[in-house]
Amino acid sequence: MFEFLFKYPWPVYRKGTLVLLSGWPVWLLGLLALAAAVLVALLFLRKPVPKTRAVVLAGIQWVGLLVLLILLWQPALSVSMLKPQQNVVAVVVDASTSMALEGRIGQAKGLLDSGLLEQLKKRFPVRLYRAGRTLERVETVPAQADQPVTNLGEALKGATAESATLPIGAVVLLSDGADNAGGLDSDTMATLRRSRIPVHAVGFGSEQLARDIEVSDVQIVPRSLPDARLSATVTLRQSGFAGKVAKLSVHGDGKVLASRVVKLPEDGQTAREVISFQSGVAGAKSLKVGVDLLEGETNRDNNVLTRLVNVEDRKPRILYIEGEPRWEMKFIRRAAELDRSLQLASILRTTQNKLYRQGTTDGKELEHGFPDTVDELFKYQGLVIGNVEASYFNPVQQGLIKEFVDRRGGGVLFLGGRAALSDGGWNKSEVAEIMPVMLPDRKSTFHRDPATVELAVAGRDSLITRIEEDPEKNISRWKALPYLADYQETGPAKPGALVLAELSPTSKGKFPLLTTQNFGRGRVGVFATGGSWRWQMLQDSKDMSHEVFWQQLLRWLVSSTSEHVSAVTDKAVYSDETRVPFHVEVRDQNYLPASDATVEGHVLGPGGVADLVPMRPVTGQPGVYAGEWKADNAGSYLMEVIAKQGEKELGRDVLTFQREDGVAEHFRTEQNRELLERIAQQTGGRYYKPSDTGRLPEEIEYSDAGISVKETRDIWNAPAAFLLFAALKAGEWFLRRRWGAV
Amino acid sequence: MRLRRLLTVVGLGLLLVCSLMGQRWIRDIFPESDYIPTPPDANEKTEFYFARLRYRNVQASGMWAMRGQWTVDYPKADRQFLQGLRRLSRIHANSVEHIVDLVSDDIFNYPFVYVVEAGHWDLPDAQAKKLREFTDRGGFLMTDDFHGTFEWDVFTASLNKGFGDRPIVDIENSDPIFHVLYDLEDRIQVPGIVNYPFTKTYEYDGYEPKWRAVRDDKGRIVVAICHNMDQGDAWEWADSPHYPEKYTSQAYRTGLNYIIYSMTH
Repeated sequence: MFEFLFKYPWPVYRKGTLVLLSGWPVWLLGLLALAAAVLVALLFLRKPVPKTRAVVLAGIQWVGLLVLLILLWQPALSVSMLKPQQNVVAVVVDASTSMALEGRIGQAKGLLDSGLLEQLKKRFPVRLYRAGRTLERVETVPAQADQPVTNLGEALKGATAESATLPIGAVVLLSDGADNAGGLDSDTMATLRRSRIPVHAVGFGSEQLARDIEVSDVQIVPRSLPDARLSATVTLRQSGFAGKVAKLSVHGDGKVLASRVVKLPEDGQTAREVISFQSGVAGAKSLKVGVDLLEGETNRDNNVLTRLVNVEDRKPRILYIEGEPRWEMKFIRRAAELDRSLQLASILRTTQNKLYRQGTTDGKELEHGFPDTVDELFKYQGLVIGNVEASYFNPVQQGLIKEFVDRRGGGVLFLGGRAALSDGGWNKSEVAEIMPVMLPDRKSTFHRDPATVELAVAGRDSLITRIEEDPEKNISRWKALPYLADYQETGPAKPGALVLAELSPTSKGKFPLLTTQNFGRGRVGVFATGGSWRWQMLQDSKDMSHEVFWQQLLRWLVSSTSEHVSAVTDKAVYSDETRVPFHVEVRDQNYLPASDATVEGHVLGPGGVADLVPMRPVTGQPGVYAGEWKADNAGSYLMEVIAKQGEKELGRDVLTFQREDGVAEHFRTEQNRELLERIAQQTGGRYYKPSDTGRLPEEIEYSDAGISVKETRDIWNAPAAFLLFAALKAGEWFLRRRWGAV
Repeated sequence: MRLRRLLTVVGLGLLLVCSLMGQRWIRDIFPESDYIPTPPDANEKTEFYFARLRYRNVQASGMWAMRGQWTVDYPKADRQFLQGLRRLSRIHANSVEHIVDLVSDDIFNYPFVYVVEAGHWDLPDAQAKKLREFTDRGGFLMTDDFHGTFEWDVFTASLNKGFGDRPIVDIENSDPIFHVLYDLEDRIQVPGIVNYPFTKTYEYDGYEPKWRAVRDDKGRIVVAICHNMDQGDAWEWADSPHYPEKYTSQAYRTGLNYIIYSMTH
């Protein structure tokens, strides 16, 4: 219909530019149009008809005159066309594993073999390519989808790069768009645009699989302490199983670490589920996280993802200072003693002049009380400040507490108490800056009155407050906890801080109980009570909620505390990518950025792979070093990074990462039409369904890539112009009759 | 035969009279007061409460049975000890004692509990098990003022109903409980006022003071047993010129150490 009305197919209009063939100046056209408008206005506005009707009729008259004037100027389209048989068309067939699903490769082959290829060949020389990890030229249309990777970006860049030696006029891409090698980044897209070669994409496969569950992402912290409670945040998509349930589980060390039943989301929707599990003993763990197969799934290989977690063999030390004997201290100590991964050293002011130390490694540790040097304080990873007034610490010690978080990257937890927080003058100290709450500017904020507790919204997803595995049960469990012996008003949470739990005294509103925030390199929490010991004494001795809560809170305090050397990769699993970048942060003895260090990574990989990776300082980022390594083989890798200052070792760190091939190809296997359309649109091509490819060979011709000529196509005689003129006149006649206007 | 019976009756009568006279004589030196004023800050809400256990006495008759019960030294000993505890430590303690029992669950609100005359208690099975649950949750029990073999047997008969799987052991001098605040390696037997004028410090056959304990799985003391000594009298009569200071000093230090230990272990 479009071609009937406008004489030419849509690509001619899309790619052509409008020209006027009469040779008369365009300004004359404008002048005449203006004169016509004035003339028509004078004629109609004098007539004895209502103003509105006069304006409508004058407008129709004027548009009709304008159409006639434009047609007199002979409008036409100037369009570039490929010269027949002088331009090569590259036909790229995606032969990755995902094309085997639903017989997609067969459909592509069938489409090409049933005439499309022949029609293309009538107009252009055709080169056939097979796309996988790289682009490979083939003589016949591939019948097997056996390539472990789809890298559309590399394939298209390869095809367009042929234009350096060949007049490539267009690329025809037959694919499901399921790219799994990092997608098409902006650089690749820019390269394709610059080549000016249109990519016409033909999409295969359902845009939504009929019956399938896919675990599209799993997020787990890459490092952990032994026996820590970890959580995996699992992103699920499904189609065809709406409302059904499935078993979500975590496997590691050859056994099921955790499992629970989840309700599947609506068709096409994404759901996030959290499952927690114990990290177990130290060592690099390969965890398989996923959903059990349901009967009838189209794709049986996309239900499980693998993630690596490095369970570090270290026991962070926490320093706990308490201003007076309190039950809270006893029960916190008991909870920490049950945790093999934590060491709690404590100082207790038993009398005005006596300190009682517990958990110290020798008689010298903390013998002078709370540390007042970097060396002494920064050897701990966490700090708990109990019922101690701010003035107990001298200005140097207060500054160190702040630096402990900001520079050292440690965790500090403040407890409530009659000499704590505002009642202890902390609101007026420089340490108030690091606290996650706005401490009230008054005293008498501590009350020895009962208060019930419940989880705040942010606490429902937090691992610190996860007493029960099931999130709903956990909410109920918190509500059922015995009341606190006391509580303290902390003031509201600062912007960016998270209130994880709230307390409710019997006669007042709600107050934050547990509030956390990150500050500088570290983290700070306020637990606004000294009376959580009742959770232990008022519940059955076998109940572990008090112990679990405190262990998790103390682990949160220290588990992210980095040491002098901290190395990271940008992801934990490299699917079909061999390039692994590293970033290392190096701090000196005082935890200041060390810019003059020598940093090396020692890589150990599958099959005895061993290599040395030198790291270079990153410009503009003091103490930060970067390196890159090529991991050719699939498997688990371990890298130990060592930083030295001269001959002196500053520290070392161990990180793990995984390389896998062909796994990602089983994920996101439905047709990615959005990607294919974007490629076509950005390059000047067009997206086609297989059933719409009849005009593809003809439409390819309209391109200025390769060897092309400019052609001019008249459009002044297009039926649409005459139909428009006729319609205007018919409309005018109809209105005049109806309104009785002459 | 008749003469022997007569002499026995007369002998016992004399013994009774002497005993009653002795009691009266001791009470003249250590006079019990019916009026113990309540401190003005008794209602203050505090961190620590000195909890005294009210228990059922073992069924017996005679002088022995009359001597021992949960109220012995109450409340003067408790309050005088608390005065010292408040003055000598940073514990935020209430100035008066608090009575708990093993019938209700109130005991779980007071992680430190003191038992006097534990050689006279008779705990039903359920109460003994509750006492065990109390320590399993983290509670600490201090027993005091019972003496000799017989009272030991009475004490352990009830204790073993809840702690039968836990051996009673002597506390080593190096144990933190003797060092948490004061170093108490050189300890002496603290006598009760019945020993006045303290030429001897033991009662019955309890010649040696025994510092014993029941420990939990982690080796922490959960039941501290002061056998053959009487801290309670030493606290109660700390203000008496007739009670030797050296015993009072040790009793206060022992009490302080035990309480701070209970709040740190």
